[in-house]
Amino acid sequence: MRAPKWLKIERRPVPSGRTIFTVSILAILAALVVAGIFFQAYGVSAIRAYQLIVKGALGSKLGLAETVRRAIPLLLCGVGLTIAFRALFWNIGAEGQLLLGAVAAAGVALFSGLPDVLLLPAMFIAGFLAGALWGLIPAALKARLGINDVITTLMMNYIAIYLVEWLIHGPWKGTQMRGFAYTDKFPSAAMLPLIPGTRIHWPTLVLGLVLAVAAYILITRIRQGFEIRVVGENPDAARFAGISHLKTTLLVMFISGGLAGLAGVGEMAGIHGMLRSATQISMGYGYTAIIVAWLARRNPLAVIVTSLLFGVIMAGGDVIKVSLGLPFQLINLFNGLILFFLIGSELLMHYRISFSFGRR
Amino acid sequence: MGWETWVIATFSRTLAYGTPLLLGTLGEIYAERSGVLNLGIEGMMIMGAYSAFAIAYTTGNPWLGILTAAVVGGAFSLIHAFASITLKANQVVSGLALTMLGLGLSGVLGRGWEGKPLPAPLGKITVPVLSDIPVLGPILFDGQNMIVYLTILLVPLLWYILYRTRIGITIRSVGENPATADSLGINVGRVRYLCVVVGGILAGVAGGYLSVAYRPAWTEGMTAGMGWIVIALTIFAFWNPAIGMLGAYLFAALYHLSFRLQPWVSPELLRAMPYAFAIVVLIAVSRGTLQKRMGAPAALTLPYTRGEG
Amino acid sequence: MKTKVALIGVVALALIFGLSALTVAKEYVPGEPLKAGFIYVGPIGDYGWSHAHNTARLICEDIFPWLETVYIESVPEGEVEGYIDKLIQNENCDVVFTTSFGFIDGTFAAAQRYPDRIFGHCSGFLRVPNEMTYMADFYQIYYLNGLIAGALTKTNKIAYVGAFPIPELKRHIGAYTIGAREVNPEAEVHVRWIEAWYDPTAAKEAAEALVAEGCDAFAFTEDSPTVVQVAAEHELPSFGHYSPMYQFSPEYCVSGQLVHWEAIYLDCLAKVYAGVYTAHNLENLDYWWLLREEAVEMGAKPGMLINPDYEDALKAVTVDDPVLGTISVYDLVMARLTQMTDPSMIFDPFSGPITDREGNLRVPVGSRMSVAELTTMEWAVDGVVGPWPGEP
Repeated sequence: MRAPKWLKIERRPVPSGRTIFTVSILAILAALVVAGIFFQAYGVSAIRAYQLIVKGALGSKLGLAETVRRAIPLLLCGVGLTIAFRALFWNIGAEGQLLLGAVAAAGVALFSGLPDVLLLPAMFIAGFLAGALWGLIPAALKARLGINDVITTLMMNYIAIYLVEWLIHGPWKGTQMRGFAYTDKFPSAAMLPLIPGTRIHWPTLVLGLVLAVAAYILITRIRQGFEIRVVGENPDAARFAGISHLKTTLLVMFISGGLAGLAGVGEMAGIHGMLRSATQISMGYGYTAIIVAWLARRNPLAVIVTSLLFGVIMAGGDVIKVSLGLPFQLINLFNGLILFFLIGSELLMHYRISFSFGRR
Repeated sequence: MGWETWVIATFSRTLAYGTPLLLGTLGEIYAERSGVLNLGIEGMMIMGAYSAFAIAYTTGNPWLGILTAAVVGGAFSLIHAFASITLKANQVVSGLALTMLGLGLSGVLGRGWEGKPLPAPLGKITVPVLSDIPVLGPILFDGQNMIVYLTILLVPLLWYILYRTRIGITIRSVGENPATADSLGINVGRVRYLCVVVGGILAGVAGGYLSVAYRPAWTEGMTAGMGWIVIALTIFAFWNPAIGMLGAYLFAALYHLSFRLQPWVSPELLRAMPYAFAIVVLIAVSRGTLQKRMGAPAALTLPYTRGEG
Repeated sequence: MKTKVALIGVVALALIFGLSALTVAKEYVPGEPLKAGFIYVGPIGDYGWSHAHNTARLICEDIFPWLETVYIESVPEGEVEGYIDKLIQNENCDVVFTTSFGFIDGTFAAAQRYPDRIFGHCSGFLRVPNEMTYMADFYQIYYLNGLIAGALTKTNKIAYVGAFPIPELKRHIGAYTIGAREVNPEAEVHVRWIEAWYDPTAAKEAAEALVAEGCDAFAFTEDSPTVVQVAAEHELPSFGHYSPMYQFSPEYCVSGQLVHWEAIYLDCLAKVYAGVYTAHNLENLDYWWLLREEAVEMGAKPGMLINPDYEDALKAVTVDDPVLGTISVYDLVMARLTQMTDPSMIFDPFSGPITDREGNLRVPVGSRMSVAELTTMEWAVDGVVGPWPGEP
C-alpha cells in the first residue's frame, strides 16, 4: 500500500540489538504517557502512580520476587512457542498443554506411589509427555490431514479445561476439602523447594533458563533446528531438500507442547500443590506467552527478557489493584496500550516479522 | 409431543445463541479475506456490548444502542487497521492487544453499570399466521428478534458480494495477491481498511446484541470468550459466509444441547463437546480436496509494501 | 552470555532473599485506628458474590469512623498468599478477610507467617488463634423459596441452575426441594450445572434448557441475574440470588435470597476494635450466620419478602401441617420465617426424616443435621432430578 506522506519508510539493514532496545524503551515510555491520562482521570497523579509501580514491581524484595515468579510459566511456554512459530506452526494451545502438564503432575504426585526421590523427576517427565501429547494431536492433524492448527489448538484448550473440571469433580476428587472440587494435597516430596522468603520455585526457573539456551542452540546450531527454520521460512525449499514436513511438525510440537507441560508441572509443584479448577491454575499464561514469544521475535533467548517484562507488567498491575485501589481492568488497558506502542514502533527500527498462517 | 419440543427448543435456541457468533464470523471473514487477521474480536465485541447498553439505557432506545455498538466496534477496529496496515505491525500481537484494550476499557467505563435493568430491551417478534405453522413456526417466527432475521439476510448478501461482484473480486485479490492487485490499480490499503472496519462493525453489533437483546444487562467480561469461538469459526468456514452460517449455528446447537443433555452425560464432559465436535467435523471433511481449494487467503497476516510483495 | 547474566542474577536474588527474613511485626492495639483488607475472587462488577462483599465493606467504612479499608478484586485462588503479603507488608492491614473457599491454604499459610495479624476466611473450616471463619448461609431461605415454588408450579417441575456441584449448592438445592415437596409432594427439582461461577451465556442456555424441559419456577446459584431474566421472558416466576434482582423482573421475581455480609463484618470489626477478638483467641470463632442473625434476608429486594403480585396466589393454596393445621402457603412461609428467626430456631428444614433420592434414610426422625453435616453434604434429597456429580 502507499505509505502516508508523513511517514517515510527507509530500508535499513537489520537493526542492532541496541536500536531495538532503545526504540522499545521509548515506545514503552510513550505508552506510559498515554496511560497516565487514565490515572489523572481517576484523580491519581500519574507520576506518583509510576513511582509506586516501579517500587512495587522492582524496588522491593516482595515485588521483585512476584515479578520473577510470574515470569516462570511465561518463560517455559514462550520458549516452546518460539520453536513452533519458527516452523510456522501456529500453536495457540499452550494454555491447554500447560493444563495437561498440570494434570499429569497431579496424577503422578497423588497416585503413582513412587519413592520420594523419584516423585518430582517423574512429575516433570510425565508433565512434559502429557503436554507434548496434547500438542502432537494438532500437529498430526495438520501434517497428515491439512487441518488448520489455530482452530485445533484453540479447541483443545477448552477440552483441557473441562477435562480438569471432570477430574476434580469426579474420579480425582479428594476427601480433604469437604466436598469441594479439589484433589487431595500432594505429599510434601512432590513439592518444589522455594527461594526462602519468596514464592519462587527456583528449580522450574533454572529449568526454564537452561531450556531457553538449549532451544537457542537447537535452532542455531543443530541440523533439526535448521530444518525447522527451513520448513517455516521456505516450505518449498524444504520439500526440495527432502526435509520431512511431517517429522518436523511433530518434532516442534513435541517440544512446544512439552515445554508448556513443564510450566504446568511447575505451577502444580511450586504453587498449588493440588489440582484445582482450570481457570485457577493458569492465569491465561498460555495466551500471554504468545505475545511473549512474538515480542521476542521468535528468539528463545530473548524470551527471557520478554517474559520478565510481562512479569513486571503483572506485578505492576498488583500495585494498581492494591495500593492505588483502581479497577483491575485498568491493567488490561495498560497492557493493550504498551503492546500497541511496542509493535507500532517496529516500523521505526524497520524490523518486519513476516508471518503467514494457513499457507500450504 | 416429545420430539417436537426437542426440535423446536433446540433450533430456536440455535438461532438466538448463534446470531452473535455468526455476526462476528461474517465480519472476520471479510477482514481475513482482505489479508488482515484480527484477533481483537473479543475486544470489539465487549466494547460493542458496553456502549450499546449504556446508550440503550440512557436513551431508552435499543436500536440507538445497536447503532452505537456498530460505530464503536468500527472505530475500535481502526486501531488495529492503523497498526497492522499503516504501521505494518504484527497482526497477531496487534489483535491480542486490541482484545486487552477492549476488555480493559469496557471494564473501567462499565463500573457502576452492573445490576441495572434495561428499561426497553430489543423487542421479540411474533409473526401472526406464520408462527402457527407446526414446528417451523415456533422456531422461526415466535419470539426471535429483528437482529436474528437481519443476520440471516446478511449471509446471502455478503456471500453474493464476495463471490459475484467486482467488490468481492477486489477484496479477494487483495487478500490473495496484493502485488498483482496493486499493479491493477487497486488501493490495497484502502480495501484492507474497509474490510477491517466492516469486521469491527459486525463484531460491535454482535456485542450489542448480547447486552440489549440476548441477555439485556451489563456485566464485566460478559462476552466470556465468544470472540475466540468466532476466530475458530472463521477458519472452520473456510472463509466462506455460507459455511460460516452453518458452523455458527452448528456450534450454537451443540452449546445449547450441552446443557439439555446433562441428565445423561457428565456435565463437565458435555461442556467440552462443542469444541471436540468442531475438531471431529474438520477431520471428517478433510478427506478430499476441499482444503486445498478453500484454504486461507494467501496474504493473510502479511503487510503489503509496494515493491516488496 | 545473556543466560550467564540471568543465572548470576538468580543466584544474587536467592542470596538477598535468603538473608532478609520477614521483619514486619506489629500487633493491633484496641482503640487505635484499624485497617482491614478484603480479598475478592471475582470483579466487584459481577453483581454477585464479590459485589456483595464489597457492598458490605463500604457499609462498614461508612459506619466506623476509625476504620480504613482496602480491597483487591479478581484474585486467583493460588495467588492469594502473595496478595496477603502485600496487604500486610505494604498496606499494613491489621485484619485481612479472604472471601473464597479456594483461599483456604493461602490464608492458613499467611496466618502462620503473620501470627500477630487477624485473618478471616469466608466459607472455610481451618481455624487457628489468629484465623477465624465465617459464612452467611442461604439454606433456610432456599427452603422458604421452595415452599413458594411448590405452590406456584403447574407442571410440578421446578428449575435450579447451579454453578458447581459443591456442598454449598447441594445443601441449597436440598433445602429448596424439601420446601417444594412440603407443599407439593409431586414436585421435582430439575438441576443443570454451568461449571462456572460467572458465565452469563451458560446460565442463559442452561435456564432455557430447563424451560424446554417444562420447568415453570426458577432458582439458581450463580453470579448474574440471567436466570431471573430468562424466566421473565417466558413469563415464569423466579427467585433472585445474592443481590436484589426485583428490578430485572418486577412482574415475575417472586422472592429471593439477599445477603448482608456487613452483619458479620460489623460485628467482627467492632469486637476487634474493642479488644474482644485478638490474634490469640479466634481458634473457635466460626460465624455461621443465618436468618436469625440477619446476615441473610428473604426477599425480591430488601424489605419485600414476597412480590405483592403473588400474595393472592399463595394465599389460595393450602396445606395440612401436623402442627400448624390447615394453613395457606403464604401463612406457612411467614410462620416458618418466624420460627427460624426465633433465637432458639424452633424449626430447621433439615430435620428428619429425610431420605436421599436413592432411598437411603439420611436424617432419622427427631434429629437435625449439624453444621458440620450441612457443610459437607454430598447426597441429593429425594425429589432432585438431574446430574449430581460426586453423589455418594
